[in-house]
Amino acid sequence: MRAGFLAGLLLLAGGYTWFAFAELAWLSSAGRLGPGYFPRLIGAALVALCAWSLADELRRGTREPPSEFWRATAALALLSALFVAALDVLGGLVSMIAYMAAALALLNRRRRWQNALLAVVLPLAMFLLFRVWLNAAVPRGLLPLPF
Amino acid sequence: MDLFANLLLGFSVAVSPVNLAYLLIGVTVGMVVGIIPGFGPAAALAVLLPITFGMEPTGAVIMLAAIYYGAQYGGTITSILLNTPGESSSVASTFDGYPLAQQGRAGPALVMQAVASFVGGTFGVVLITLLAPPFSQLARNFGPPEFFLLVVMGLSTLIVMIEGHWRLGVISALIGFALGTVGVDLETGQSRFTFGSAELIGGVDFIPIAIGLFGLGEFYYAFYTGMHVTGTGGIVQYRREKRFWPEWRDYAETRGALARGSLLGFVVGVLPGAGATVASLMSYSVEKSVSDTPEKFGKGAMAGLVGPESANNAASSGAMVPLLTLGIPGSASTAVLLAAFTLWGLTPGPLLMAEKPAFAWGLIASMYLGNVALLALNVFAIPLFVQLVKLPYRILAPSVIVICTIGTYSVNGSIIETWMMFGAGLVGFFMKLHGFSPAALVLALVLGPLAEQSLRQSLTISQGSLAIFVDRPVSLGILCLTAALIAAGVYARRSRRRTSA
Repeated sequence: MRAGFLAGLLLLAGGYTWFAFAELAWLSSAGRLGPGYFPRLIGAALVALCAWSLADELRRGTREPPSEFWRATAALALLSALFVAALDVLGGLVSMIAYMAAALALLNRRRRWQNALLAVVLPLAMFLLFRVWLNAAVPRGLLPLPF
Repeated sequence: MDLFANLLLGFSVAVSPVNLAYLLIGVTVGMVVGIIPGFGPAAALAVLLPITFGMEPTGAVIMLAAIYYGAQYGGTITSILLNTPGESSSVASTFDGYPLAQQGRAGPALVMQAVASFVGGTFGVVLITLLAPPFSQLARNFGPPEFFLLVVMGLSTLIVMIEGHWRLGVISALIGFALGTVGVDLETGQSRFTFGSAELIGGVDFIPIAIGLFGLGEFYYAFYTGMHVTGTGGIVQYRREKRFWPEWRDYAETRGALARGSLLGFVVGVLPGAGATVASLMSYSVEKSVSDTPEKFGKGAMAGLVGPESANNAASSGAMVPLLTLGIPGSASTAVLLAAFTLWGLTPGPLLMAEKPAFAWGLIASMYLGNVALLALNVFAIPLFVQLVKLPYRILAPSVIVICTIGTYSVNGSIIETWMMFGAGLVGFFMKLHGFSPAALVLALVLGPLAEQSLRQSLTISQGSLAIFVDRPVSLGILCLTAALIAAGVYARRSRRRTSA
């Protein structure tokens, strides 16, 4: 799995380095070090180190089995992504309640009353803290809700 | 005389009711953060940063700094009672803290760790008070080559000191540097890696990345390792009435460990990149080597607990010296503190103490008061904090993810930054899983613009010659110190492996 992660990094580092060499100049028009100087150095070093580490990893050929909890981790990550996606649609408060209800139903099973209470109290507290007390931005969403 | 006048000014700022309230909130939150395994001060600072936006800058920074050093206190409670360090800097405290608890001496161990933390922390603040002003004076003579080399020193020390392969640490730092190059180039005005996005013109914001890496990433990793199922294990029971307080010999036998740990911790803490974890492990090795009874270490030696505890607290104070006087953070936590400073238009560096004395000295004075508050909290409120250990991850994780997400959105009202935070969370999880260093990434992201600017300025001054980094005596001194630190880091890694074996 580390090899896959390193391969992904190498790909991104390659793209970064290509852009630095193709689009950013080494020297500025005034003859000083240009906007491409630092990115080229970093990109080249990143590609070299990622390639070296990937080669090492492939040579070792070790494959660790995934943890038995990978499904719970993936579910938590997927719920987090859906939460972020829902913010602009449902608004901050409704998204928080929906996310908490879903996450607790998945992770904290058989404690329905506790989950229901938490799914309402924490989002409400967060909403009051950010919107009312701090006057900070909380997504409003597309629904015609009064908050 | 100036020193006392400045300190008095600082106390007059720190004891205002509002700042005192923020300080108490900060130390309490710090304790809580320290107690929760897998949720470090860097994550807590990043997550709580948006909540402080409505506050007055001095109070907000006093609170955030209190969370930072308060976490060092809390981390040891779980080391002693659970054999699970709340923070990486409390690992060394498990070696003798847990055996002491198993022998029925949990009470004395908890009190002695609180005393050691207090002595180390306060000793560190006394040295900040004495050394920060001359350090600031010295730093005024630093030019671009010195600042570039300080960045290199901080990152290379961090990389050789962290667990895992050095190459993965360097890759992590380079990713941080690469992210730091996104946005408009300040010298030429050219956009770099923005791909037409208006949101990226100002660069990659540090806050969503830090919240994602340390908030979401840590929790995903905790789930992957099954902490939501296994919990944190069984707590060693202890009674407050019986044998709770240490005996006189506990104090007498650990005086030397206290003094050595505090001094060593502060020196290590001042060096950018070294940090509290390294300080505590080095202190443990020192105490074991100077002890007349080294065979007792690992089986419940009080000096094996007191030394590392005083060291990690002195180191967390020491790390404030380069932050305040040079504007160079030495760890992920102090990098978040730096971000907090800049958010309020405060620029840490050689001129901070001269230009903003009320703020700088208010922060230092608050650290004296914070350590006293933490000592009292530790001794008298331990049962309360122990209850927090029982809070299950399956409830904690969704709650913290909600705070991270809404907190990130609230900074700039940007859904793109919220997605960046989520992406950083996934990257942070994989980095932790595969032995990379999220701390090096964050530090490089924060220091990247300074590194690039100072490198380009240095080479412009020298007309492209790298000799500028060895021609100037201060630069040469920093280079030599960097080499010595790398050598010490390699040695520390080896001795750490021996200790854990």
